[in-house]
Amino acid sequence: MVLARTLRLVAIALPVVLTACAPKSWVVLLPDEDGRTGRIIVSGEEGQTEVAEAGVAASLDTPKPETFKVTPYRIEQTFGGALAAQPKPPAVFTLYFESGGARLTAESEALLPAVLAESAARDGADISIVGHTDTTGDPADNKALGMLRATLVRDALVAAGLRLDRISTESHGEGNLLVKTPDDTQEPYNRRVEVVVR
Amino acid sequence: MSLPSAFSRLMLACALALLTRVALAEDGPIGYVKTHAGAAFVVSAGKSMEAVPGLALRQGDVLRTGDDGRLGLILLDNTVMSLGPNAEMVIDEYLFEPGNEQLGLGVRLLRGTMQFISGVIAKLRPEAVKVKTATGTIGVRGTRFLVDAGN
Repeated sequence: MVLARTLRLVAIALPVVLTACAPKSWVVLLPDEDGRTGRIIVSGEEGQTEVAEAGVAASLDTPKPETFKVTPYRIEQTFGGALAAQPKPPAVFTLYFESGGARLTAESEALLPAVLAESAARDGADISIVGHTDTTGDPADNKALGMLRATLVRDALVAAGLRLDRISTESHGEGNLLVKTPDDTQEPYNRRVEVVVR
Repeated sequence: MSLPSAFSRLMLACALALLTRVALAEDGPIGYVKTHAGAAFVVSAGKSMEAVPGLALRQGDVLRTGDDGRLGLILLDNTVMSLGPNAEMVIDEYLFEPGNEQLGLGVRLLRGTMQFISGVIAKLRPEAVKVKTATGTIGVRGTRFLVDAGN
């Protein structure tokens, strides 16, 4: 009887105590979309701590951050709004080119409608287009060739109705190889344009 | 929140945004608003605009949501951030020129809640990414997390 009453009192008091102890400002680590979990380093005025496990939180309003576990329920209660506002993650398309010029391979040409569909499916979509080349020829020429390839893809997307002011184009030339090769090496996988739809 | 305090905070935010903008060399968009609900605003160069999808963001912008507000955005390096209700966040620093090794991202969450999903900057140079609150700093090592800055 006494025990039952004590337990009941504890059950009532516990949430109050927990709330009183809970920090007003804190951070909690979540798993990435791909299921892996990264790390954060949390610093206060007098110390820092590392969090590397999903569901583990650290206080941000104590001189030295203190770690604690958080339930999915509390995460949803506190962060439901921020989580609901998460935009769709960016989509990446890689388009490949015939050797030496700015002509898409037939396979990659066939991917353009998918890029358009992805863009149409998003509110306020913006697109980055980055052109790349293999290591055949002069680096300066390749910078120009990468730009030519990026521009070709941009023009195709604009011709299909996308907004020019939301598309950015640049070239990395032969400076950002997908497949590492020596200089002056033909490599179809390096002759590409990367399109990111956000 | 009393009216005078809300007003003075807005004025301060406007003044800060204006100063930051004057100090900037480059002025292109650093990202775009992607989602919104309820009251959600971006204060850019002293001007408050409704945070509709497609609105361009610039370094120094202040993002703010009301009682029923939410806001989601994606920056050019694919960093994804979203704010819950009654939140205020400043984008203090944004540098994304991988070719020139110019990389940096600094945001401050002044109040409310946010989700942060790191992008290319955190991948290329993790120590260049900082998320701050009034009392603490979060260093990012390529990851997804949630921050509550309180009220």
